[in-house]
Amino acid sequence: MITRNINNSGRGAMSNVDWVAVLLYFALIAFGWVNIYAATNSGSADSPFDITDRYGMQLIWIGGSLLIGVVMMLLDYKYYHILAYPIYIAALLLVLVTLTPLGHESNGARAWIKLGPILIQPAEFMKIGVALAVARFMSAYTFSTKKLSDVVKLGVMIGIPMLAILLQNDTGSALVYCSFLFMLFREGLNVWIYIVIGFVVALFVLSFWIEPTVMLVLLVVVCAALQALQNDNLKQTLQYLAAVTLTSVAVYYLFVAVGAAVSMFWSVIIALGLSLPVLVTYAYRRQMTGVFMYLLLFVFSVGFAQVTDVVFDKMQPHQQHRILDLLGIESDVSNWGYNVVQSKIAIGSGGFAGKGFMNGTQTKFNFVPEQETDFIFCTVGEEWGFVGTMLVVSLFAMFILRLMRMGERQQETFGRVYCYSVAGVFLMHVLINIGMTIGLMPVIGIPLPFFSYGGSSFLAFSLLFFVALRLDEANRELSSFSV
Amino acid sequence: MNNKYRILRFAVLVVFGIIALRLFYIQIVDGSYKRSSANNSLRYEVQYPPRGVVYDRNGEYLIQSKEIYDLMIIPGDVEPFDTMLMCRIVNVSKERLKRELRKARNYSWRRPSVLLSQISKEAKLRLDELNYPGFYVVLRTARSYPRNIAGNLLGYVGEVGERDIERDDYYRSGDYIGKSGIELAYEKELRGEKGVKINLVDVHGIVKGQYEDGRFDTLPTAGLALTSTLDARLQEFGEELMAGKVGSIVAIEPSTGEILIMASSPSYNPDQLVGRERGNNYMELLRDSRRPLFNRAVMSKYPPGSTFKLVNGLIGLQEGVLTTEQHYPCSMGYKVGKGVACHAHPSPIKLEQAVQMSCNAYFCYVFRNILDNRRKYPEIGDALEQWNEYVRSFGFGRKLDSDFTGELNGNVPTRAYYDKVYNKHWNSLTVISLSIGQGELGCTPLQMANLAATIANRGYYYIPHVVKHIEGRDSIDRRFYERHTTLIDRKHFSTIVEGMYKAVHEPGGTAVALGRLQGLELCGKTGTAQNPQGKDHSTFLGFAPKDDPKIAISVYVENGGFGGTIAVPIASLIVEKYLTDTITRPHLVDYVKNMKIAYPYYDNKKHK
Repeated sequence: MITRNINNSGRGAMSNVDWVAVLLYFALIAFGWVNIYAATNSGSADSPFDITDRYGMQLIWIGGSLLIGVVMMLLDYKYYHILAYPIYIAALLLVLVTLTPLGHESNGARAWIKLGPILIQPAEFMKIGVALAVARFMSAYTFSTKKLSDVVKLGVMIGIPMLAILLQNDTGSALVYCSFLFMLFREGLNVWIYIVIGFVVALFVLSFWIEPTVMLVLLVVVCAALQALQNDNLKQTLQYLAAVTLTSVAVYYLFVAVGAAVSMFWSVIIALGLSLPVLVTYAYRRQMTGVFMYLLLFVFSVGFAQVTDVVFDKMQPHQQHRILDLLGIESDVSNWGYNVVQSKIAIGSGGFAGKGFMNGTQTKFNFVPEQETDFIFCTVGEEWGFVGTMLVVSLFAMFILRLMRMGERQQETFGRVYCYSVAGVFLMHVLINIGMTIGLMPVIGIPLPFFSYGGSSFLAFSLLFFVALRLDEANRELSSFSV
Repeated sequence: MNNKYRILRFAVLVVFGIIALRLFYIQIVDGSYKRSSANNSLRYEVQYPPRGVVYDRNGEYLIQSKEIYDLMIIPGDVEPFDTMLMCRIVNVSKERLKRELRKARNYSWRRPSVLLSQISKEAKLRLDELNYPGFYVVLRTARSYPRNIAGNLLGYVGEVGERDIERDDYYRSGDYIGKSGIELAYEKELRGEKGVKINLVDVHGIVKGQYEDGRFDTLPTAGLALTSTLDARLQEFGEELMAGKVGSIVAIEPSTGEILIMASSPSYNPDQLVGRERGNNYMELLRDSRRPLFNRAVMSKYPPGSTFKLVNGLIGLQEGVLTTEQHYPCSMGYKVGKGVACHAHPSPIKLEQAVQMSCNAYFCYVFRNILDNRRKYPEIGDALEQWNEYVRSFGFGRKLDSDFTGELNGNVPTRAYYDKVYNKHWNSLTVISLSIGQGELGCTPLQMANLAATIANRGYYYIPHVVKHIEGRDSIDRRFYERHTTLIDRKHFSTIVEGMYKAVHEPGGTAVALGRLQGLELCGKTGTAQNPQGKDHSTFLGFAPKDDPKIAISVYVENGGFGGTIAVPIASLIVEKYLTDTITRPHLVDYVKNMKIAYPYYDNKKHK
């Protein structure tokens, strides 16, 4: 099978192609284009192939992508292994070019290069470069996710383009690179990293939702409970909590009695501080290291919740608003929340069966902003209803699961890592994009694969897929995964 | 199978599951998004019905409806636009535009309001072309008046006030409503039914099409056409004659109560209260010291003067204190008490002649006999109350309940009033002025015309009204078909009528000089009413022809002097014009038109 290359011809050439994946791909791009047509058709009875309109332009991109895709299917799969680093470097250079005066700024992000009439967004292609380079790097025999130096190198490899894209002021596209964590999980990266990330995100969200004092008490209880579970000392833990509570109240009223004002928050902190020697002595005597771990976790959490405010202040206003809107704290309908509100109205008003093709009032009449790019899912939701959105969600779910399956049946690490990376990138895009339109995620401007209008992203997503398809065709493990 | 693969597959399914659940919630469970979507994209555009037209009794237009355009605004949809260009197109100052914009914003950010009303068709076409977001033009109808007459009677329409909107949910801000006259009285008939057009609009408020192809749209129903009782040509002629004078002419068809003329002078061109300059013109009319907006025919309370002698004569006959052959002497007046002066005429005279020559003394005797009839009434107060009853049966002292707005009650003094004023110490001499229609008596010209019609009918009247037919209805209000009979027997009228005939036709008659015209058979009574404003008011009431009268008329010219000098020729000309449709005495028309009357009372008054 390794000998199969470009010279192979005849019936066998494409016999190993995963036609299910191809079918899913075509279903997605077809439905995607239909929705771009609906979102961008100005109502005039133009031909659908009119390139002056965006749907016509998108058709050209689709055609071009398919052409390149076929060519890539004909290339020897080994070239991807060989060219991984050069592609990475080339893409990175393109990204860096945007930071020079050659870059073109649009919507506040300096993310484009203008080539004649078309705008290229190198960040989209960077994903292919990173996916290939990471696959190449991790396919080395000496590589291990348990080796810190390897993980750090990997981090640098992913971090450099991410930083460059951040410098473009395109936070959304940079965030996508976190999707490689998906693949890294499969490759055995320490589970604790994911737990910590989850914990930090939860803390961040919670710190907006609940009062600092409640947060503090909650953290005390959670840490104490975890500790009690591990050390099986529920009784002592409860005694400890009771003592801390009493002390807190005592401290609070002591200060009131003296005439000084102290908040409940600081009363609890003081009580906890007073309990520290007792706690340390107790743990030391019984040799319970777990106690210290949870103590550390607690201190970190409280610190983080406090730091959150500082971090949040450092964010740009529009990012702050997007987060606040998502958390339901600030809803300024006519301003920052407008996009999400209109987007939800569009999707929600679609109902079960939708308003019908080209009948979406929210999208057709421009109530939804960016409706053919980042908010294309609104058109799906409004015109095709729950039926349409379920179709899209199901197609994406199957598509991503298919990519993972393609990765699993790879003989080589290179192919598996690559397929998982692609699955992760798609998952990230779909989750953030759809999540944003239905108010599950903050407004982060990244495209919905195959649906959002835009040549660079369409081509990049297609290339990501075709490379995976090519690797799958070539290196399929003929074990339990035979078609 | 790899364990991590299974975990990740599960994670992917969970992620998509959450998305699917969320979609299920917002698309299936929560219905509020559908309403929000409708709020966003559906704009209910009111289709204004054309207001009902008004014809005169001969089918001529009194009020027509012409198409005009209102510029509407939805402040929330407005985007920066070329204000100077807009000002030029709609021909308003930048300050005015800014003011109106602010007003619209204060009213509502989302709901449409009228930015500028009654813009020209050219402006409408330009604005349609420019298609500024947040602006649109709606078709309205405005009133137009082919003859520019009867402004006060027809009334005018204006924008609804807050109270109208609260009272009747038909109205929305910016709607028009009848403010006075027929427009107000017949508002419900004239306004029609509004329609609605549901448009789809985009985020800029620009119309993109009809909702559901117009399935839920409704068409406006035009207001009902009214046929007025007025005779437009007669009205116009009356207003011509009254030009420059202050007063009014009211003419009624006695057999029906239909008002043929109701001219209040000074009047105004009703077109002045239509269109963009309405506000300014209105203020100007309001400031005019002669008060052109004041419909004197029904809102002015005048002393009836000698015309009221007819009523006292009839009451005397009915009460039995007077016979047709009763003679009383008069030498330049009634010399009892303070006395009442009179003019030179033969003496003694009987009732018929007293009416003909308008003898003051004669009616002093009559009136005192009515009040001092102690055989019938133990106290003078009782007699006055009875007299009051009689007077009221002619329609005096109360609203006639006509079909237009602003009618005054007038005033007929009561026993209680005099008891209060004179502390119960009064007698027939105290109130002697009532005998000649002076004193506390107050009548509107409409009431005086109604008296003329009542005498023409020999004892009854129909409530005077200005609308005789409403489109699509068999009849007008039933109260206009009811005959109101006075407390005077029919037989008593002949002597009075004879006196009125002679007043116009026989030598010594007060209206002979300028009132008589062969074949017209005008019967009437002049009046010269003293008043605190200055020179006597000149008045005349009468009817013609003598038998089977076709027109009853009351002319009242403030400060016009002797009744015969101005009120009589006006009435005579109107009657001639109505009955024969010709004017055979152009010199008399010139005489009336050239008569200059000074109104120091109005013109020297400082207003505001």
